[in-house]
Amino acid sequence: MTDAARFVDAGPTESPIFPLRVVDGLALPAEYRKALRPGEEWKDAGGSPRQLPRYFYEIPSWDSAMKIELASHFLLWEFIQVDVREAPPLRTFPRYVPCAITLLAVCLERFRDAVGTLVHISANGGYRSPSHRFSKNATLHAWGTAANIYRIGDTYLDNRSAIERFSLIARETLPGIWTRPYGTPSGFAEDHLHLDLGYVLSVPRDVKS
Amino acid sequence: MPEKQAPAPEATEVVSRERALREQIEKIERESGAKAIAVAMRDAETGLELHSNGERWFHAASTIKVPILLGVFAAIDRGELLPHSRVHVRNRFLSVVENIPFRVESGRDSNSAVHNAIGKMMRVDELAYHMITTSSNLATNLLLGVIGPDAVNQTLKALHVDKGIELRRGVEDELAFEKGISNMVTADGLLRILVMLSEGKAFSPALSRRMMDILHGQEFNQGIPARLPKGARVAHKTGEISTVAHDAGVVYLPKRKPYVLVILTEWDPAASGRSRTIATISHTIYEYLTQGPVDE
Repeated sequence: MTDAARFVDAGPTESPIFPLRVVDGLALPAEYRKALRPGEEWKDAGGSPRQLPRYFYEIPSWDSAMKIELASHFLLWEFIQVDVREAPPLRTFPRYVPCAITLLAVCLERFRDAVGTLVHISANGGYRSPSHRFSKNATLHAWGTAANIYRIGDTYLDNRSAIERFSLIARETLPGIWTRPYGTPSGFAEDHLHLDLGYVLSVPRDVKS
Repeated sequence: MPEKQAPAPEATEVVSRERALREQIEKIERESGAKAIAVAMRDAETGLELHSNGERWFHAASTIKVPILLGVFAAIDRGELLPHSRVHVRNRFLSVVENIPFRVESGRDSNSAVHNAIGKMMRVDELAYHMITTSSNLATNLLLGVIGPDAVNQTLKALHVDKGIELRRGVEDELAFEKGISNMVTADGLLRILVMLSEGKAFSPALSRRMMDILHGQEFNQGIPARLPKGARVAHKTGEISTVAHDAGVVYLPKRKPYVLVILTEWDPAASGRSRTIATISHTIYEYLTQGPVDE
């Protein structure tokens, strides 16, 4: 597979602000396809099949991730911090993030405006692949539409009061957003605020599917 | 029929000094008020060994972090981890009792570095360093979360140092503690691990040396090192909860090979003088090995 075949369209690379190329996951080398599972179905906790993203932005280096703004106050690197539990091919560059990541960034920017201070996404709390050891039950993190926020300004979201306060702000600010309720059972969270946009698939307009 | 030969004067002296050493340790134990004391020692210079209650089981407290360190480096040796592999710092763990979540209280860790990184990532070698040198419980549970207790136990078994070590859970798992599920060690068990490390036989000389370097960074020095001469260097790990106080390490003295020493002690929760007792036993062993006075 040549680079020319893998890239969907070279047009967006001309942008100095957002120079990432769109990649068809199905055209990636086998080790990436195995880890990213582009376009595959994955059942959620309720047993409903969900289709995983097929199109990704290719991030060439950590240096570029440190520079690229997805929103005024969110750089790309904040969404791709994964630890040793991520599949090995996805821990080195080039890295891949679903194209819907830009929508999440815009939502978080609006949320940041509402809370009036810094919003910190946790490690493993932005995009992580379906092969990440923490990923299960069609986690929205594998769609690039979920964020785990562990700290807002100087407030750590590790207690009911803080989580419920900021959860309410998120729901009031972002129509349609879902936040995980406070608690310890599966499906709840007690040491971060989880918010997500649902199973959004972003297909760039130049893609011919 | 040849006459039975009398033991050489040197041998008699060695036996006499060893008896004196044992008596001295028993005296220290009696005077300390400890409920139990175990001592295991192996001297690479002379080949001498001492095992006093060496197979008695004690709550491991933080000495269990030495076997866990071994498990981490086994994963590095297998290529599953790199020293610079990154680990998500998250203060949420599941008890072995019904998977109930618990946290490590920040006040229980003497070093805030790991707690300050919550939400971020730290490198495996950084966490290993904090786990040993400042006994970070958060770092310990994070590393154990990555490699798993089963993998550590398999490593111990593969290296033939599993006898005398029972790793059953992470640290600060109060629910498990209340149910009597605790990590346990014997002095002889810890001795076997430290002898292997000091001889460079854990995976490779290079990896053994890296583990020893971490143990050399120990910041709690009120036990084995406290009454040793200034030239002594000790690579060690302490452990203390309300009912036990331990120290286990390798003592390096100038111009001689090192000796490995493990001192495990058990106490009533209100008892005092724990570190002083360990330091006194360590000093007595030092004098014994360097031919100084054993009975003070």
